[in-house]
Amino acid sequence: MQALGLLGNAFVSIMHPASILLMIAGVAIGIVFGSIPGLSASMAVALMLPLTFSMTPSLGMNTLVAVYIGGISGGLISAILLNMPGTASSIATTFDGYPMAKKGEAMKALGLGIVFSALGSIFSFLVLTFCAPLLADVALKFTPAENFGICFFALTMVAILSSGNMIRGLLAGMLGLMFTLIGMAPIDGTARFTFGNPNLMAGFDTLPTLIGIFAISDILITAEAMGNGKLETIPINKVKGFGFSMKEFVYHLPNFLRSALIGTGIGILPGIGGSTSGMLSYVTAKNMSKHPEEFGKGCPDGIVATESANNATIGGAMIPLLVLGIPGDGVTAMMLGGFLIHGLSAGPLLFVKNGDVVYGIFAACIICTLIMLVVEWTCIKGFVQVLKVPKHILLPLILVLCCVGAYATNNRIFDVQSILIFGVVGYLFHKFKLPTTPFVLCFLIGSMLETYLRRGIMQYKSFGAFFTRPIFDAFFFVAVGVLVWSVFKELKTFYAKKKALG
Amino acid sequence: MKTLTKEESSDGTEKGGTEMFFKKYGDIVVGIFFMALSAVMMVMAQMLPKSKVMEVGPEFMPMVIGVITFALAAALTFLSIKNFKMHNAEIKADDIEDCDYKRVLESVILMLVYVFMMKPVGFILSTLVFLFCQMMVLSPDDERGKKQAILLAVIDVVFTLVVFFLFRYGFKIVLPAGIFSINL
Repeated sequence: MQALGLLGNAFVSIMHPASILLMIAGVAIGIVFGSIPGLSASMAVALMLPLTFSMTPSLGMNTLVAVYIGGISGGLISAILLNMPGTASSIATTFDGYPMAKKGEAMKALGLGIVFSALGSIFSFLVLTFCAPLLADVALKFTPAENFGICFFALTMVAILSSGNMIRGLLAGMLGLMFTLIGMAPIDGTARFTFGNPNLMAGFDTLPTLIGIFAISDILITAEAMGNGKLETIPINKVKGFGFSMKEFVYHLPNFLRSALIGTGIGILPGIGGSTSGMLSYVTAKNMSKHPEEFGKGCPDGIVATESANNATIGGAMIPLLVLGIPGDGVTAMMLGGFLIHGLSAGPLLFVKNGDVVYGIFAACIICTLIMLVVEWTCIKGFVQVLKVPKHILLPLILVLCCVGAYATNNRIFDVQSILIFGVVGYLFHKFKLPTTPFVLCFLIGSMLETYLRRGIMQYKSFGAFFTRPIFDAFFFVAVGVLVWSVFKELKTFYAKKKALG
Repeated sequence: MKTLTKEESSDGTEKGGTEMFFKKYGDIVVGIFFMALSAVMMVMAQMLPKSKVMEVGPEFMPMVIGVITFALAAALTFLSIKNFKMHNAEIKADDIEDCDYKRVLESVILMLVYVFMMKPVGFILSTLVFLFCQMMVLSPDDERGKKQAILLAVIDVVFTLVVFFLFRYGFKIVLPAGIFSINL
């Protein structure tokens, strides 16, 4: 219970006007960065970093935490309203968020997303506060073999995601994997499939790819429907409060707990990230649900699952960062930079030497989450106005923002050009009725899968030695089981359908 | 029953020929495309240098993905040819929508020009031109009057300048300046 006392002290110490104002500003900036496709949370943290130079360590770190939290959460706004993920973490939010918005339930979708992302964050921060050192030990036990197991497990989720149309779903996923092969191979850096183009050496960046698949193809699909002059205006149903009742809240709780656990768990493991945790909990929620057929057609459960998980990843990702000094992704790497600038060295000694700063960060996390909740909730009415802008005006504006965002990722014009490639791929997917979800999931995981496989083989000399690791075994055999089970189910429905049709 | 379906689908062909093509042959096209793609990939992967230190080199993943893709694509092609008739019976003419490929093509060309002109011409100029053209292309036919055009032009200019300066000074991201090499 020592942690509780320290946390209490920290709350008292950060509760002064300057720090609260800075956190509000940080959250607001983070939300703006998060909600604009192409601008990411890590970019926001990088930008804010120099501004914190002159602040005291605890004030500076709290501001960065505020930006981080706002940045991850802000992605849900554009995911729900515009069908394009503002950050990679909110990809799975689009699956059910946008269909809900189309049905006129934009307010409800936003309300659910905001509340459960706040709850997800708080859940993971509580885990962070009370179990950080314990969990960091577990994270250390993860070698490339275990990480490969997780990636493999996540990949088999594609099979479930595309049930009912498995071959096409798997093919879409395979295309995603193929795109990850382009560029330098992991470990040895051999140029693969670059066709002599130096721009392709680094491969396709995640963000431009997502923007292309979601935003650009959306514009082409709209263009296609414009000919009939059928400009559908999206209705906006008015709601009270957050748009859902206490009964619904209680109904979502088990789903929330499961997703938040997945999110925190994935967050702890360096290098996997929020986008994977969102996807994984989405698929898990679909599998556990009593009405899986509603997923993807505007089912609130989908939003709850993703948003709880991707925000819970924040707390998870801070565990290895604070306890071991290992950054799990781009944002936490930036945060580590922040620590260094303020003369703090993240690692086991941080808790001993700078306990006040660490618990200050924990307290700031929780306060920033509450600020995020209030800021987003007060702005909900403003956000939904976006839906009233006619599509032929809105979409080109978004496209320009996407191009700018893609450019800003690496300051390369090539990234802007690559969004067009993926836009056309996304459009063709739409025409040939191929699902984009498996493509995106595989694209995200593909390069990790190969890196961990080859790193693991370097470490253990052969693939067979992976099986001596019990955690790897668990993931691997569950994955194989899932695969076999879904193929079996697929065949069963296929033959049933064939019989029915004669 | 079968003749009725045929009549319906022939109606559909008149209404949206391309759409019918996607519905009827979509799976076969996808299957053959992926078979070709994976075959090419496997051949190219074989030409990659082998790793000297470990058994799993850079060509390993491409080969695995290639083999799986080829098998899946072959299965898809085989199944859709085998069930061609059954599949076509399922297609209903009512589902077929008219698609405006003219607007799609115009949009693709506009974007293509935009992304390649952004660097040499600069962000401001290329965006001003692109944004206006793209909004006009997407506008429904009855909203292409002079009045709307002026509105779009105003939105265009304001948005472009706001984005440029917001990124320049707010986010410290310098967008391609192109022919204007002014230091604002």
